[in-house]
Amino acid sequence: MPTLERPMKQAAEPSRLLSVESINVSYGDAPALWDLSLHVNEGELVSVVGPNGAGKTTLINTIMRLLPVRSGRITLRGEDVTRMSATQMCNRDVSIVPEGRLLFGQMTVEENLDIGCYRSLARPRRSETMERVYALFPILKERRWQLAGTLSGGQQQMVAFGRALMAHPRLLLIDEPSLGLAPSIVELVFEAIGQIHRSGVSILLIEQNAARAMDAASRAYVLEGGRIVTEGDPQQLMKQPAIRAAYLGEAEHPV
Amino acid sequence: MPSLELLGQSLLSGLFIGGLYGLLGLGLSLSWGMLRQINLAHFALAFLGAYLTYQLSEHFKLDPFLTMLIIVPGFFLIGMAMHWMFAKFKVTPFNSLLVTFGLAVIIESLIQWIWSADYRKLESPYNDIKFQVGKLFLPLPELMTLLIAIALSIATWALLRYTHLGKAMRAMSENPKMASAFGINEPMLALLLSGAASAFAGVAGACLALSFTLAPSQIYAWVGVVFSAVMIGGLGNPLGPLVAGIVIGLSEAATMAVTAPAWAPLVSFSLLIAVLLLRPGKV
Amino acid sequence: MDRRVIAAFVVLVPLLAAVPLLKLPAFYETFLYLVLHWIVLATSWNILSGYSGYFSFGHGAFFGVGIYTTAVLSGKLDWPFLSTLPVAALVAAVFGVGLGAIVFRLPRLRGELFGLLTLAITFVIGTIILNTPIDGGPGVYLSAVPVPAIGPTPSGSFYLIILALAALVLWVAYWIYTARLGSGLFAIHDDEDVAEVQGVPTFRYKLIAFGISCAFAGMAGGIHSVFVSYVTVGEVFNIVVPLNVVLMSVLGGSRHWFGPAVGATVITALLYAFTAGDFAVAGRAAIGFILIAVILFMPQGILGQLLRYWRKRAAPKPLPQPLPPAPIPRTGQSGELILSVEGVTKQFTGVRALSDVTLQVHRGEILGLVGPNGSGKSTMVNVITGLYKPEAGRVVFNGTDLVPLPSFQAAHAGIARTYQIPRPFASLTVLENATLAGMFGGRQLSRSQAERQAMHWLEFVGLAERAGALPTELNLHQRKFLELARALASAPQLVLLDEVLAGLTPSEINNAITLVREIRNRGSTVVFIEHNMRAVLELCERLIVLNYGQIIASGDPRKVIADPEVISAYLGTPHETGR
Repeated sequence: MPTLERPMKQAAEPSRLLSVESINVSYGDAPALWDLSLHVNEGELVSVVGPNGAGKTTLINTIMRLLPVRSGRITLRGEDVTRMSATQMCNRDVSIVPEGRLLFGQMTVEENLDIGCYRSLARPRRSETMERVYALFPILKERRWQLAGTLSGGQQQMVAFGRALMAHPRLLLIDEPSLGLAPSIVELVFEAIGQIHRSGVSILLIEQNAARAMDAASRAYVLEGGRIVTEGDPQQLMKQPAIRAAYLGEAEHPV
Repeated sequence: MPSLELLGQSLLSGLFIGGLYGLLGLGLSLSWGMLRQINLAHFALAFLGAYLTYQLSEHFKLDPFLTMLIIVPGFFLIGMAMHWMFAKFKVTPFNSLLVTFGLAVIIESLIQWIWSADYRKLESPYNDIKFQVGKLFLPLPELMTLLIAIALSIATWALLRYTHLGKAMRAMSENPKMASAFGINEPMLALLLSGAASAFAGVAGACLALSFTLAPSQIYAWVGVVFSAVMIGGLGNPLGPLVAGIVIGLSEAATMAVTAPAWAPLVSFSLLIAVLLLRPGKV
Repeated sequence: MDRRVIAAFVVLVPLLAAVPLLKLPAFYETFLYLVLHWIVLATSWNILSGYSGYFSFGHGAFFGVGIYTTAVLSGKLDWPFLSTLPVAALVAAVFGVGLGAIVFRLPRLRGELFGLLTLAITFVIGTIILNTPIDGGPGVYLSAVPVPAIGPTPSGSFYLIILALAALVLWVAYWIYTARLGSGLFAIHDDEDVAEVQGVPTFRYKLIAFGISCAFAGMAGGIHSVFVSYVTVGEVFNIVVPLNVVLMSVLGGSRHWFGPAVGATVITALLYAFTAGDFAVAGRAAIGFILIAVILFMPQGILGQLLRYWRKRAAPKPLPQPLPPAPIPRTGQSGELILSVEGVTKQFTGVRALSDVTLQVHRGEILGLVGPNGSGKSTMVNVITGLYKPEAGRVVFNGTDLVPLPSFQAAHAGIARTYQIPRPFASLTVLENATLAGMFGGRQLSRSQAERQAMHWLEFVGLAERAGALPTELNLHQRKFLELARALASAPQLVLLDEVLAGLTPSEINNAITLVREIRNRGSTVVFIEHNMRAVLELCERLIVLNYGQIIASGDPRKVIADPEVISAYLGTPHETGR
């Protein structure tokens, strides 16, 4: 799915798109984040994996500026966005596919997509972007008049992706897309993630399903107890006991 | 059993008053359903609008319908101010009921202070105009009220359904955080919505002034039946209060024609109770 | 009960009863009557609505029922006035309890909807009375009803009658405030679902409070009907009475038994003072402003604010002495079944959270229950503790199936739980939270015993110094430990710990693990629901894994986590084509 007039970057100097520097987040009853740093380069698909309760959703919501930061910095293309609002992030080409989809259930599929392109940059291109979303997810076109709340989990996930894509993001934050979905639908979802990435959108992917997340990514972080415990090449990470330890405690047997 | 003509005329007045219920309920339904503010002051505001219409017509000889041009913008601002106060003090939905009750009492006192507790009736040339269809009479003020109610309800519905602004408002009322993540300026839209709800109260008041005798004590007489219409019609649904209001109006009229006028309130309240007890899930 | 309060009653009531001897002009005696009249109405309303949070907008209905009971009995059937009063109370109470029996069973009718429903009831009853021979339209004249000559003048007599009723209502409100009923109602106010799971019989308590509230409103109505000597439906069955009592209670402080009395006095005095001349209107406007100011700035009301101020100034109350609890009764052998979940299925719209799940818990074990997000663990806990009723299956605890019983029976049977996201009662202190659990849990302790037990458990989890704090003043770690203390204070035979470690630092986790072991060693059986596998492996003797609402593995923890099906449930399966 080609996006707007974006020059295809050659694999030269990777430029920092998103940089999270030593943030501390502690908000209400959400799991906290401690001294956390990560970055996403232009064109990358980066995964963050870890067990439940590690703080993955806190991380994504903080980057989208839905949660306040106690200390530390977040920069986007060099601009300090730590004190900005979610709306301002949206206007800076960042979009989110939240955990649990969080669709507008009383609105139709097409209306949810409309909300996606509400921002002024995206609205003029509404019809062309929508056609592309429908090309990516044909089943949504069939059900465009259906209330989003009545769709199945997998279809809702597609609407959530579509909505985020309608905003023409350069950085897409995806939070636990496989949650509650049957394995065959998870296939489809990761297919779509791959296609979106290939079209030039940088992605930060949070997933509980480590194996899938590692497959898709060029770089990965492992989050446990609110801290990054290890990072690096996904295939290497999967072979280490550290990742099994993070999810399942001490590994008795070698992988 | 009353004659067919009498029954027909009864049902017709039921239809007209149903329209007024719907017009009164429109603003209430919007602010309750979409902003989660239960606005008891809505009725007092409507009466304030009614009294202002009366004043501008009787003393400044303005056409009652033109007074709306003054009332609507003024009330829009009042609505915005109210929402601003709720947002600033983080008033919960339940507390909004109490705060607006306080506002209602203040507005009612203001009305009584300016216009006294005496009954006031707007005498306008419109009162004497009646259309005749067959054996039935359609008085102009009531007909205008119904038409305005229908027009405003449909216009609101269309705006919410088809325009970007309307969709943004619906998204915002479902999930303000997610809406903001897609660029929707929630505070601004909430102010607009609140302003519109109060503006609708003002319009309803103008229509009230045309058909009814005004007295401050009358404010609370409408609370029950309009709340019924709002709840039965479904919160936040712009067409809901109109349809429910007409249903209630017609049922009341039928009851009054067949039994006695005093039984009429039973209808709306019994319907409300039935809806509350039987409707599954959240309203 | 506070001796100072008892003394106040004993001294003030006779003093006030002597007022008619002053032979004040009727204007003043009428004013005093009205103050006491509104004290009765506001205080009685508060017993249900202020204490439990179920704001009724129908107090006028029950007041009106009382009015018309006396109107018919005395006005039309010539009964002696005073004898009609208990009947008025009874009739109003019957209406209230009847309504409550239907409405309190419907969980969606809380908050604003309950208010609307009760308002609607007012108009329905009013219309029926208007159109039947009870009133019929013209109203009922009661001027011929003889007023018993208790006082030197008729207005003096009314004053004494209403004084007696006011004293009674205030006493009952105070008594409830200090009794278990009151504690239960306040818990319902903060979080009804949690209260039920803690063992508060919520349905019964609401019904009792509603009945008492309506009875007093009815009696006040009976008295008032002869006082005004002419009653009509329009004057009685409207929105004014309910709005006034709400206003008075909120202004005075609806969480306190005396708050409504303060509010009633202030408002009535204000209105009376302004009644002369043009100021009547200004007076009403002032009341509107006061109400808004109170809601925005002083939500606890005048009395509430004053009490807060005094408490801050006063020396801190000494904390109760902790008392180690009696050992958990060993109603059975170690190792035998304490809980048997048999074929439980739980369905929500579109999602089957639990599918024919069968599991067993042995007395004295620490059982781990794990599974990925969405696997049904929390649903399982909710079914066991009675919050959800399953579509199929049994939950047999110590031989009794809990499914057909009301939810609060799970706590009485000896089951306690913690919440993943802590849900303490926000307006109760740490100590009060833990005390409530002891009062309504398995042992049904008295308040003083429960307080001492609570202190013991607060010391156990390290929260003793924060006993007087409100939950909002604690951090997440402390709130989690309050959850734990609260669960333990109910002396449970079985404790379900739902993700108690989430959000804790490694050292806090070690601390918690030690606590959990200690809990088991003192005689409770523990079901440990967790994501933190290191802790699970350290603590649990047996492990059950859920996925998509079904059990996929159970047994020795180390064997279970090496099971390939478990691994793939957690880590996922790689893409088929691989790399």
